[in-house]
Amino acid sequence: MLVSWDWLKQYVALEMSVEELTDRLTMSGLNLEEYEAYGKDWVIDLEVTSNRPDCLGHLGVAREIAVLYDQTLKIPAAQPVSCSSPAAKQIAVRIDAPELCSQYHARVIRGVKIGPSPAWMQQRLQAVGIACVNNVVDITNYVMLECAQPLHAFDLDRLHGAQIIVRPAKKGEKFKAINQKEYELSPEMCLIADAQRPVALAGVMGGFDSEISDRTTNVLIEAALFAPLSVRNTARKLDLHSPSSYRFERALDPQGPDYASRRCCELILELAGGELCEGVVSAGETPAPSGPEISLRFARFQKVLGIDIPAETAIGILQRLGLEQIGTATAERATFRAPTWRRDLSREIDLIEEVARIYGYDHLSDDVAVPLCSSSKSQRERVVERIGETLTAVGFHEAMTAAFTSENEQQWFNPRPDVAALYVDHSSRRQENLLRRSLIPSLITCRRANERHGNFQAKLFEIAKVYLAADPDRIEHEVEPWQIGLVTGQSYLELKGVTELLARRIQPHGQLTVRPCDLPQFTPGRGAEVLWNGVRWGWLGELDRSVCDAADLRDVVCVAELDLQLAERNADLVPRAQKLPEYPGMVRDLNFVLDEPVLWSDLEQAVRSAAGPLLEQVQFASQYRGKQLGADKKSYVVTLTFRAPDRTLTSDEVDAAQAAVVKACESSLQATLRA
Amino acid sequence: MDPLTALAQFESEGLAAIAAATDAAALEQVRIQFLGKKQGRLKDLQSVVGKATPEERPVVGKRFNEAKDRVTEALEARLNEVAKPKIAATAIDLTLPGVPTDFGRLHPLTQTMREFREIMARFGFEVVDGPELEDEPHNFNALNIPLDHPARDPLDNFYLAAACTAHGKPVLMRSQTSTVQIRVMEHRPPPVRVISIGRVYRPDDIDATHHVMFHQMEGLMIGPDVTMASLKSVLKMFAAAYLGGDTEVRFRPSFFPFTEPSVEVDVRWKGGWLELGGAGVVDPNVLQAVGYNPEEVGGFAFGLGIARFCMLRHGIDDIRLFYQNDIRFLKQF
Repeated sequence: MLVSWDWLKQYVALEMSVEELTDRLTMSGLNLEEYEAYGKDWVIDLEVTSNRPDCLGHLGVAREIAVLYDQTLKIPAAQPVSCSSPAAKQIAVRIDAPELCSQYHARVIRGVKIGPSPAWMQQRLQAVGIACVNNVVDITNYVMLECAQPLHAFDLDRLHGAQIIVRPAKKGEKFKAINQKEYELSPEMCLIADAQRPVALAGVMGGFDSEISDRTTNVLIEAALFAPLSVRNTARKLDLHSPSSYRFERALDPQGPDYASRRCCELILELAGGELCEGVVSAGETPAPSGPEISLRFARFQKVLGIDIPAETAIGILQRLGLEQIGTATAERATFRAPTWRRDLSREIDLIEEVARIYGYDHLSDDVAVPLCSSSKSQRERVVERIGETLTAVGFHEAMTAAFTSENEQQWFNPRPDVAALYVDHSSRRQENLLRRSLIPSLITCRRANERHGNFQAKLFEIAKVYLAADPDRIEHEVEPWQIGLVTGQSYLELKGVTELLARRIQPHGQLTVRPCDLPQFTPGRGAEVLWNGVRWGWLGELDRSVCDAADLRDVVCVAELDLQLAERNADLVPRAQKLPEYPGMVRDLNFVLDEPVLWSDLEQAVRSAAGPLLEQVQFASQYRGKQLGADKKSYVVTLTFRAPDRTLTSDEVDAAQAAVVKACESSLQATLRA
Repeated sequence: MDPLTALAQFESEGLAAIAAATDAAALEQVRIQFLGKKQGRLKDLQSVVGKATPEERPVVGKRFNEAKDRVTEALEARLNEVAKPKIAATAIDLTLPGVPTDFGRLHPLTQTMREFREIMARFGFEVVDGPELEDEPHNFNALNIPLDHPARDPLDNFYLAAACTAHGKPVLMRSQTSTVQIRVMEHRPPPVRVISIGRVYRPDDIDATHHVMFHQMEGLMIGPDVTMASLKSVLKMFAAAYLGGDTEVRFRPSFFPFTEPSVEVDVRWKGGWLELGGAGVVDPNVLQAVGYNPEEVGGFAFGLGIARFCMLRHGIDDIRLFYQNDIRFLKQF
C-alpha cells in the first residue's frame, strides 16, 4: 500500500521525520517496504497484512499514526447537500445474488461537468501510482484510497431501463471491460447488469460502454460490498487484478459503502458540479451499526505475553483504536465494542494483540527462564545419521530431489508397478505431475546432469519418502514409506558391498542375502531383492542398457532402493564388545572346481554345514574361468579360518575338518579340488 | 718453525683440504698429501717431533697424535659423506599430490537442518515427523485457516487429483510443517516441546529464490506458563547458538491465522536486522481444535525456512543449486 505523506497530513499532524514514523509503523504492524521522495512529498510503501483492510486507505493509516502519537484524527464529514428530486426516480436496484453481494447503494448526481480533476488531487493520485482519467473517475479512486472502500461511477444515461441488477454471470456470457478487452464469464462470477446487459464485473472492473466519458452529464455512484472469495476467484481466473479487487478480497467495513458514497458525492459536487438527487437507492442487508462486544481480563496480559500492562494504558490504547468502552472497568476487566472497520476484532485475544503491538513488543523480556526438559534423538534420527555417515565415508554424496516425476521418468525404475501412481492436479505441472513411487528416477536425472558436466563418477544417495497412497490417517509406512536410494557407476558387487556395509553398520550381526529378481528394468540376471534377516529390505541391481539409453546415461549404473523402516527396526546401534581370541587361528585355502550353475551361496552353505565346530569364518577369495577348466566350469577359492577358544589347534584337527568339507562339497556339489 | 706451530698448521690445512674435496679420488690425494706413509706431510712432521727437546717431547708427542687422529677422522667422515648418493634410492617426489580418497558429503541443507535440530535439542525440543500428504483438517482447519482463506486456493497448493484420494476427501502436499504440530497435540497432553523439520510444497515459478519444494523448521512449545516472553527468550537463545555470540531479538507485529499475537522475528546480525521467521502465541482456536483448554495452557509456535539460512551461511545465491545435485557443488560443503 502506497501512502503519501502529504495526503496523510490532511487527517493527522505529522511532526516527526519520515524515518521515525516508518520505524514506529513497522514496529506496530505496518511494515515499511521502502519510501522515496516524490516532488516535495514522500511516498511510503507499507506492507498491510490481510487482516487489516482498514489500512488500505489513508484514513486507516492515519488512525494508526494518531494512536501511536496520541494525536487527533480528522475525518471528513461527508455530508453532501442534495436537491429535492429523489434518486429512486432515476434508478432501481435489485440484488439477485445475495451470497455474492450483501449490500448495494446507488446515488445519482445530475448535471456534472466532466473535466480534469484539480492539480492537488492529481498530484496525490499520481504519487501513489494511480493514473488520472477525469474528475469523476479520479474522485472514486481518491475516495477508495482515502477510506479503503472501492466505488464505481456509471454514466447513468448509458444504463438501460433505469435499472441495476446484481446477479451471477451466465455461463459463457461476454463482457467488455474498461480496458477494452472482452472476457468470457462463468456463473460463480458476480455481475452488475442493467435491464439488458452486463455493465460491470462486480468489484473487479467497470464496463467499457457505461464508463464516464467527456459527454457524461448524469452519474450513478455505486458503493457496495461483494463476497471476497468470489472477487478473488474472478480476478484470478480472468487475470484482471485491480486496486478495487485487491480491497474487496478482504473483509471490508460494512459501514464503508455508505460513508464512501457520501464522501464521493460531496467531492463530485465540489469539484465537478451538478446536483445530488435526494436519498440513496439501496438493496441488501442494512449493515450493523457496530461490531461485537468483547471482554478483556487484564490478568491475561501476564498469561499470554509474560508481562503486565496497566489497565488504564490498555484501555487508552483500545479507545484510541476506535473501540468503545461499555460500562466501567473493574480491577479485573473491561468490556468494549469493536468498530465496524475492524472486523478482525472479535475475541479477547484480539484485544490483547492490539494492546501489545501498540504498547510495544520491546517491553517483553528476552531472558525468561525456560524449565529444563530432556529430549533424546529418535531411532529414526539415529539411523538416518548412521546411514549418512556410512555412505559419505564410502564416497556417496547426498542428493535432494523433489517428489515429482513424469510418466516417462518413472519407468526408469519402478519396483512397485502394482501400486497406482498418485498425481497432483495443478496447471503448473502437466508433465511432472506424478508423485514418485521410487527415488531412483530422480537420482538418475541427477546422475545424468553430472555426466553432462563431465563427471562420470557421481555416486549419489537420497533418503526421502515415496508415495503409495493418499491417506494421511493410515500408518506412515503403508502410505509414504521412507526409502534410501543409491545410484552409482560401480559394479553390482561393489554396490552390494556398500549395501552390506550399511546393514552391518546398523546391525553388526544381521544377515544380508539376495534372491534373483526379474524387474524388467534390471539387466537380465543382474538384479536382486535384498533380504535382511530373511525380510525384504529392497532392490539392488544393474540397470539394463535400454533403461540407461532411455535416460540418456552414458554409463551403465547400478542402483539400490532400501527401506528405512526395516533399518530402524533392525537397528542395533550399541553393540556389545566381543572378546578377542586368545589362541591363534588356522587358515586354509581350498580351490574348488565347480559347475557354472553352482552358486557361491551353495558352496558356502555346504562348507558351513560340513566343517564342524572349529570353523570360524568362510571367505570368498577369488574366482577363475579358463580353458584348463573346460566349458561351463569355474573355480572358486575359499578361505577357511579355524579356531578354538581354549587352545591352539593341531594340524590333525584342522586336516580332519578340511577333509570333511572337501568330501561334502564333492558329494553335494560335484566339486573337485583343483591341484 | 717450532713443532707445535707446525702441527697446528698441518691440522688446519688438512681439515680444509678434506672439506674442499668433493669425491673419493680427491680425498685419496688429500690422504696421500697429508697422511701418506711415504711422502705425506705427517712423515715430515715426525722428524720435527724427533728434534724436540726432552722437556718438550711429551707435549709435542701428544699434540702430534691429536693432529693425526683429527685429520684421519675427518677424512673418514668425509669419505662416508661423498660415498652416499646425492638422492637416496628410497626418496620419492614428496610434492606429488596425495592419492584422492573417495569421501562424500551430506547435502548442505541436511547440514543446516542437523545444526538447527541439535541446537533446539539442547533446549529440550524433541524432533517429530508427520505425513507429507495431508488432509485439509490438518493443513487448514485445525490451524484456524477459514474456508474462504486465500491460502486454501487450489492454485496455491498441490492438491492430489480426486481420483487418487481415499474416501474422496481432499488431500494435498502439505504446504507447511505446522500440520505436524496439530498431529502431535492431538495425540498427547501438554506440556509439549517439539520441532518438526521437513519438506513442504507450494506451486511457485522456479527461479533463483523460489522453488516448488522447500524445507521448514517449525517449533511448538505448550505449557501452563509458556508466554510470548518465553518465545522471545528461546528464539534469542537459538539465534545466539546459530549465529554466535550475544544477539538481540525483535518482534514486528504480523498476521498468521494460527497464532495471535503474531510477529515477524528479526535478530541483530552484522549491524543490521536479519529476518529469522514468523512466530506467535498459539491461537486459542488452535488449542481448542486439538482439545486443549486455552485458559489452562498456552504456548508459542515459530517457523523458519531452512534454505535461506543455508544460503546465507555458505554464500549460495541460487536455490536451484540445492536440487541439481551437481557433485561440483555438493563437494564444497
